[in-house]
Amino acid sequence: MKKTKIAAVALASLMSVSAMAGCTKTPGATTGTAASGETSGAAPAQVKEFSAFFAVPATTEINKDNEIQKIITEKIGAKCNETWLAGQQASEAVGVFIASGEYPDFINGGDAMKALYEAGALIAWDDYIDKYPNIKEFFSDYEWSQFRQSDGKIYWMNPFENIYGADKTTTQNGEAFWIQARVLEWAKYPKIETLDDYFKVLEEYNAANPTTHDGKKNIPYTMLCEDWRYFCLENAPQFLDGYPNDGSCMVDVNTKKIMDYNTTPTAKRYFKKLNEEYQKGVVDTGAFTQTYDEYISKLSTGVVLGMCDQWWDFAYTVNDVFKTQDTEKYGYNYIPLGLTIDKGMENQWYTSGGTLNVSSGIAITKDCKDVEGAFKFINDLLSQEIHDLRFWGVKDVDYKVDENGLYYRTEEQRKNAADPNYKTKHLCTYSYFPQWSGTSRDGKNAMMPAEQPSEFKDSLPEPVKKVFEAYGANTYIDILGSVNKAGPWYPMYSYSNNMKTDTAGGTAWTKMGECKHAWLPKVVMAKDFDKTWDEYMKAYAACKPEDFVAEMQQELDKRIAAYEAATKK
Amino acid sequence: MKLKKYGPGDIIFEVFLIIFMVIFLAVTLYPIINTLALSFNDGFDALVHKVHFIPHSPTLDNYKAVFAKEGYRFGAVNTVLRTLFGTLISLVVNAILAYVISRKRFLFKKSFSLFWVITMYVNGGLIPTYITFQKLHLINNFLVYIIPGAVSAFNMLVIRNYMNGIPESLEESAQIDGAGYFKIFYSIISPLCKPVYATIALFVAVYQWNAWFDAMLYNKMRDNLTVLQYELMKQLQTAMKSAGSVEGLKNGGTTITPNSIRAAATILTMLPIICIYPFLQRYFVTGLTIGGVKE
Amino acid sequence: MASNTIKPEDLQAHKKVKFLDEAKRQPFLLISSALLLIYGIIFYYIPVIGWITAFQDYKPAKGFFGSQWIGLEKFKKLFENKTFYLAFRNTLAMGVINLVFHFVTAIAFALLLNEVRIFIAKKFIQTVSYMPHFLSWIIVTAIVREVLSADGIVNEFLMNVCGNETAIDFFAVKGYFWWIVAFTNVWKETGWNAIIYLAAITAIDPSLYEAADMDGASRFQKMWYITLPSLRPTIMILLLINIGNVLNAGFELQYILGNDVISDVSKILDVFILDWGISQFDFSLGTAAGIFKSVIALILVCLGNFIAKKTGDERLF
Repeated sequence: MKKTKIAAVALASLMSVSAMAGCTKTPGATTGTAASGETSGAAPAQVKEFSAFFAVPATTEINKDNEIQKIITEKIGAKCNETWLAGQQASEAVGVFIASGEYPDFINGGDAMKALYEAGALIAWDDYIDKYPNIKEFFSDYEWSQFRQSDGKIYWMNPFENIYGADKTTTQNGEAFWIQARVLEWAKYPKIETLDDYFKVLEEYNAANPTTHDGKKNIPYTMLCEDWRYFCLENAPQFLDGYPNDGSCMVDVNTKKIMDYNTTPTAKRYFKKLNEEYQKGVVDTGAFTQTYDEYISKLSTGVVLGMCDQWWDFAYTVNDVFKTQDTEKYGYNYIPLGLTIDKGMENQWYTSGGTLNVSSGIAITKDCKDVEGAFKFINDLLSQEIHDLRFWGVKDVDYKVDENGLYYRTEEQRKNAADPNYKTKHLCTYSYFPQWSGTSRDGKNAMMPAEQPSEFKDSLPEPVKKVFEAYGANTYIDILGSVNKAGPWYPMYSYSNNMKTDTAGGTAWTKMGECKHAWLPKVVMAKDFDKTWDEYMKAYAACKPEDFVAEMQQELDKRIAAYEAATKK
Repeated sequence: MKLKKYGPGDIIFEVFLIIFMVIFLAVTLYPIINTLALSFNDGFDALVHKVHFIPHSPTLDNYKAVFAKEGYRFGAVNTVLRTLFGTLISLVVNAILAYVISRKRFLFKKSFSLFWVITMYVNGGLIPTYITFQKLHLINNFLVYIIPGAVSAFNMLVIRNYMNGIPESLEESAQIDGAGYFKIFYSIISPLCKPVYATIALFVAVYQWNAWFDAMLYNKMRDNLTVLQYELMKQLQTAMKSAGSVEGLKNGGTTITPNSIRAAATILTMLPIICIYPFLQRYFVTGLTIGGVKE
Repeated sequence: MASNTIKPEDLQAHKKVKFLDEAKRQPFLLISSALLLIYGIIFYYIPVIGWITAFQDYKPAKGFFGSQWIGLEKFKKLFENKTFYLAFRNTLAMGVINLVFHFVTAIAFALLLNEVRIFIAKKFIQTVSYMPHFLSWIIVTAIVREVLSADGIVNEFLMNVCGNETAIDFFAVKGYFWWIVAFTNVWKETGWNAIIYLAAITAIDPSLYEAADMDGASRFQKMWYITLPSLRPTIMILLLINIGNVLNAGFELQYILGNDVISDVSKILDVFILDWGISQFDFSLGTAAGIFKSVIALILVCLGNFIAKKTGDERLF
């Protein structure tokens, strides 16, 4: 009797072992069985091992025996084990680090960066920057000064969107009203300047061609409104007025005043237009309830003729589907349009010269035992040789070099670079460490493969090439026809990103967000637009947007003063 | 003797039962089969074509993609270990606790019950708990999977409830024979509690198998202490709304994890625990009975 | 006459003697309970010190005792927020609906499964029944959205069989949301929740059924008059436990299925805490909300326990 009881209990556990036997026999698992967790430090003594935590979800998690990571480690004598945010809020993860008082060597706190600084967790960079030329050259003095915190010191650097040498940007990585190449081809490549032009051509095309190649009904226009991705719906008024993506407000270049784009006449006209089109059945009726997955799935079938979105939010997945499903030839790929509310206005959908987001970045913590080594690690990652390894890969394996010294990839190498398995096993970009775009130090190649002109041209589908020809464009940027008038304060979202409810402005910011989430769908779907709009404006005013504007104005003044101080020197 | 075995009422009941069970099976099986079919379907293809029961564009790539991540290998070992030891320890401790609390003559019966009931509804929150564990050196430690969750008031109450149903006369006669409380627990009560022990073992095993939150909170900086479900979670999270790091998405040039890879990962992690179940099942479906011991 | 009445002091002394006497008889119970008490204090009660942060402007860097005391300000902030009441109402409503559905379906399923007489079928149905429990919420929500989509099975059925003109967008109608959540929970968890009842059914004395057979009871009658009443203690205990959990009405389901059009009915407390507390680095607000939830849970449980005491049912403590 007793024995059967014990057997019954043990059975449950034993079964799970035998069921998983296939996995437990794999190599590498042997270290895992040592549950104490102290086994990984057997590397040669001279290799420095750093730890890093990034309070953002991983784009790719690399394996321990990653091939390029090994090569980089051999060359620079140091490596970094990266841990990413998963299943938790950034502020929660950072809050726990601060409360426990124990930190990894490197940290990127995302939205909670300020809290790390306030907790005294970070090492000041000021004494180190000059010693490391690759770090020093990453920003101009004015740019570095923007990272200064309230004590006047620098604690982190943003790793992204910084251009070395000539700008090689080819895609509109940011926001635009997108339209399928097939629509443009059918309409004989017209000039589309305004919102009215845009919807007119969508309607006309849909009337003439109501379905896709396989008989699915077209959706002329959709928009994603899920959670934080509702920027696809809400922030177009700033662009339509000809302002750049300050994200949370507009800045009048002449008076240097903050303006709220939610209440402008343009905003009202934009939402009125959406409302009209919604009543006509042009706007997708499922737009407000779709999830991101459903949205991507919709775009992937090619039924959506147009939408407003950021390139990175849809193109990587959707373009890959068009390629693998061989539907590129039907002209499903999307072309960006630089629309404005009225004809003849300049637009700033694209802002050249990179974007400096000072609100977060890579930092070194007080728990780092080898601060010099950590700086050297960042410095080494920025050297051209290592940079090429990070983003191009190994010569002849991941890319080839032609007789002029230009890098290129074969079709197979391009496929590899997009393959998730290959990414985890072979490629090691150290993706949240500083990186350049623009032109390589050799003066010929692009820092990033995606910006290499030959790479870009070769990968374009036929219908898109035809669009480029018709509009006389070489890149997506050319089609937009953007001008850049963004001031030194740009982008203002690098401040509003960090706003929290502990200030009046931050509270207003959170309330405004809630209000817009609740009202914008109603506004677009309303039978009586004007009445609903007035109600929305009333509810919006109750959130005290003036508190938010006032706090942003303070920040703007501060940035302008800092800029003037830096340029006078 | 059993004349009324198939009265008209019984036939109606039987028909109703069959119809109910068939509908139930259909509704329940669909998602499973759908997930299975999806896991064998090409990821991009599934975005364009709906998959119901049969893969539209069959492939094994999703499973290969899951196995390519070394995290799953570490995770499998740790998950098996924690399921094994966690279940064993938790069952023993909860059984003892339930036994103690269910004894009529136990001096602190009421207050001790309340002490545990409160733990079900009160918790200090993330940061205080973390700091407590830190002081106990449970951070970056495998034991954090086993020790903190070992006693659960819910499991204890389920066992206690079952033990309450066992006639007191058994205990009394054993006491007259000179048996102590431990002896009674070990050789009289426990053998009768097999069905409920099996139930709790299943609950704990499934909890341990599915747990990832503790791995994320306490052991995230140690790759070799990861668990299976945490690795799965990381693959699933691209679908979660909160995954938004605009900067990362912008610069990482990432594609979303196809639903089909999520499906493959799901099938792989649910398979083993489903295989165990039939072995436990006999304890509560076959109608193993303790009726014989009732007065 | 005095010799007949027991003085209070005597009673006290008598109790003391009895207590010590009894204590000597149960060393195993006392030692194991002492160890478990220490364990419980360390792992469940010490972290509750963190509750003091609800009365502070808690900053992780300053710790529990270094942060600034602000009294009830966080609670004020909580109760002044209109969204909080909305979230509270929704959480409570979905919690109650889930509670009722959870019990009715799990018990009904256990009873009916128990009546399936073909052994293989019984085993098979049960194995299938709890499988959805292992699907993660992300997968489940994807399936729910698929089934209820414009060209999903439900709309196809409504249009072809019931003659609906157009497809219903189930996620745009406020009246449906709570029921979608409830049904999804039922669909995922019924088989799993039934396991406890199936285990309890095994403990029913078979002689009861034999006696009923003698009396010529039908199968339905046996189920209704013997099996169900025998489950009463188990049902009561689980009911008492779950009453305290009505404010834990799930998170992922509402979070993933909710959208802006129906946020009035889909927003729940945990999402509110996420938006206004954790995401804002305001851990104190989250703690305050947590205390609020705990207090309500404990009140409900004590109330339930009290009623159970009156009706003579199984109690929690």
